[in-house]
Amino acid sequence: MSRERHIIILALLALLPITALAESPTAAALSYTCAGCHGTDGSSVGPSSPSIAGMDPEIFIDAMQDYKVDKRNATIMNRIAKAYSDEQIKGMAWYFAKQKLELLPQSTDTQLVELGTTLHDKYCEKCHEEGGRSGDTGTLAGQWMPYLDYAMEDFIAGRRDYPRKMKRKVDAAIKAEGEQAMPALIHYYGSQHNSAQKEASHE
Amino acid sequence: MNKKIAGPLAWFFLGATLLFLYILPAHSAVEVMTVLGEEAPPGFDPVTGKRVIPTVRCLKCHGDESEQTDVDDDGNEIEIYIPPHKFEDSVHGKRRCAECHANITRVPHRQEPEVVVGCIECHRQTWDANKDKPDNEFKRLGVVIEQIEKYQDSVHARPEDEDDPSVLNAGCYDCHDAHNIGTLGSHQRDEHRLENPEVCGECHRKQRNKYKKSVHGKAVMEDGDSEAAVCSDCHTMHEIDSPEGDKVMLQITTNCGNCHEESRQTYRSSYHGQVNKLGYTHTAKCYDCHGGHNVLAIKDPASAVHEENRLETCRQCHEDAPEGFIGFHPHGNANDFEKYPVMWITAKFMQALIIGILAFFWVHVMLWFYREYQDRKAGKSFAHPKPGDDTVYIRRFTATWRWIHLLFAVSTMILVLSGTTLLFSHTAWASFVMDMLGGPKVEAILHRTAATIWLSVFLVHFFIAMTNIVRNRKTFRWFGPSSMVPNLQDLRDVGAMFSWFFGRRERPSFDRFSYWQKFDYWAPFWGAAVIGFSGLMLFIPTLTASFLPGWVFNIATIVHAEEALLATMFLFTVHFFNSHFRPDRFPMSTIMFTGAVPLEEFKFEHRLEYERLKESGELEKMLVKPPSRTMEKGSQALAAVLIFAGLGLLTLVFIGYMTMPG
Repeated sequence: MSRERHIIILALLALLPITALAESPTAAALSYTCAGCHGTDGSSVGPSSPSIAGMDPEIFIDAMQDYKVDKRNATIMNRIAKAYSDEQIKGMAWYFAKQKLELLPQSTDTQLVELGTTLHDKYCEKCHEEGGRSGDTGTLAGQWMPYLDYAMEDFIAGRRDYPRKMKRKVDAAIKAEGEQAMPALIHYYGSQHNSAQKEASHE
Repeated sequence: MNKKIAGPLAWFFLGATLLFLYILPAHSAVEVMTVLGEEAPPGFDPVTGKRVIPTVRCLKCHGDESEQTDVDDDGNEIEIYIPPHKFEDSVHGKRRCAECHANITRVPHRQEPEVVVGCIECHRQTWDANKDKPDNEFKRLGVVIEQIEKYQDSVHARPEDEDDPSVLNAGCYDCHDAHNIGTLGSHQRDEHRLENPEVCGECHRKQRNKYKKSVHGKAVMEDGDSEAAVCSDCHTMHEIDSPEGDKVMLQITTNCGNCHEESRQTYRSSYHGQVNKLGYTHTAKCYDCHGGHNVLAIKDPASAVHEENRLETCRQCHEDAPEGFIGFHPHGNANDFEKYPVMWITAKFMQALIIGILAFFWVHVMLWFYREYQDRKAGKSFAHPKPGDDTVYIRRFTATWRWIHLLFAVSTMILVLSGTTLLFSHTAWASFVMDMLGGPKVEAILHRTAATIWLSVFLVHFFIAMTNIVRNRKTFRWFGPSSMVPNLQDLRDVGAMFSWFFGRRERPSFDRFSYWQKFDYWAPFWGAAVIGFSGLMLFIPTLTASFLPGWVFNIATIVHAEEALLATMFLFTVHFFNSHFRPDRFPMSTIMFTGAVPLEEFKFEHRLEYERLKESGELEKMLVKPPSRTMEKGSQALAAVLIFAGLGLLTLVFIGYMTMPG
């Protein structure tokens, strides 16, 4: 082989992307495996698995880390979470945060939605901004209602870390509206798929 | 492939690949962070990967006017409200909350925000990064940096408890409302001025309560006048220290004058203020008389300087002050005819005297110099004796007169130095000299000691002169050649000298004392009366004020200073020229120190006396041997020292006079 050819091969080798030699699959590749439960790119189609597209990455990391150490009540996520490194969890968090949330309509009770609107504005809006849209406190607007129901049960029953401020507000809402309070709020969030989706596509 | 170009082309290909793929990216300014090929999502810093919390997110809770409190972990109610418009208008309005409250990385925050924000660190870093920028955007930050340095030396930056250096007496945010810091000229500035007494009063309760009742406090706290004096106007903003220290006492006195400018100037022309200006604090300062935090308008009957209370106030320092003290004008102003006509007239009279006398004698000096120089060039003069010459001398002054002159000269110079140090307290040299002397208290002793010597010499001389006259009363001629009393011949001599100056006649001949020597002699009589008497009044103020009104101190101060200036400028210019610097005498004459004058010179300068003595046969009796070499050298050294000292003092006085404020 001529010397020139040697040099050209060397240059072609230099062109090879370094990532091709990396040990871990990319965050995107890891995230594809979640689609079975959480839907394509994190927009869930099954009512018991929450949508995680557009999810705040730090909330995502919190959840995975809590599953990893069995701090959060789980069906299967605790087993899954344990298999991922901190770096992989962070990578997936960033991946899902950038995905567009696709929501499906859910049937809601108009009266409950109305009550839920009032309750949300009074007790929840400051943290769960703009009607509970995806943000630094998670995704409530348009989220699957059965999931929200389980989640709240877990909080109230002490199966999940219950932030002090949240507990105070939830207690106040229940004190004000009794047993209706939680279903009202869940119906309210369930009714938000249109506005949440509109905003999401807007971004 | 053409072998000639294949080689270089292959090298170029490799080089370009390495350059674009490996070398350039490594040198690009900022590297974007990735995790397993994933870049940070929106809302996160692409370089650090950290969450960027916008201010609006924080204000969701902290900017809600309807819910201004929250409950902390222990169930205590806490204030959480930050008025959004105030923050947005403030100098920090474009900053994000978490830039200062750096421990907040999530919202809702999982921990209490650190109140200890790194004000100093952040301002210093920002200044270091931007101080060299050509636009003036960060110019004001330079002022902040200066203030930080002052703060760090202040009492506020010291620990409250020596064993616990973490708790300072006061940190930045104890005084500054960090969420509401106004830029120069902003509405916040006025608000802050009005709030200042309350902010300081948070810790300094007692002072606040006194201030509230004062003329300043009422204007600020009752009438909302943001122009009236607040704490920081007197105490400074950041250079705060205990008011027990000299530095603070001086600073506060200066600061009063930032508003009361004329009062500061008139105060500084009084003894109280001169000492203060020199950096000493034992004399009365603004607040010693007017009150500090509880200062009231002079016309207020409760004011410490109200006519009814003034004597008592004076007596805080001048324990035995008699009624007469009330008449003293501590802020008397010789430039203000309306208020202080007597002071004005006195000052103008003294100034006219200075100008008149100096104008006459300086013209006299210049003309004399010109004519004598011309004469000397033309050989119309006497020759100075050369060393080894067997020159004949004549006795002119006895030892007594020589000693009297020397004591007079030395004590005068001490008086000039110590006196002008006060008079020109505004100069840098005055502070230096005062420190060298050991402070105003030592200076006062020095001045009074020198004055006592001076007056004693004057009186001793007067006594001897009178004794001589009485002893020779039968033969003493009041208008004779040995008398100092001016006569008609002196007047004729003045005319003759001016004729000579203009080349209209030969140099006139003189008898024992010429008219300028007589002037030199009589000037101290007037000086002794004016300076001595005024000085004595200021020396014993209690006695003076027991039979004279207090305003005589104002007059005495003017007269004493102006007359002393006249004497200084006359002695160290005119007298020095007449005796030492004119061409016949240059660089000096030692006659006053050796007492003897070469006969040739005597003949030239006092031809009439020479002829008279020769005729009467007295001349032979007065002839003496030349002064010894030691005497001659010693006299020269002494004369040189005195001349240089005199010129030095003249320079200091000149500097002081030319830079006199007002």
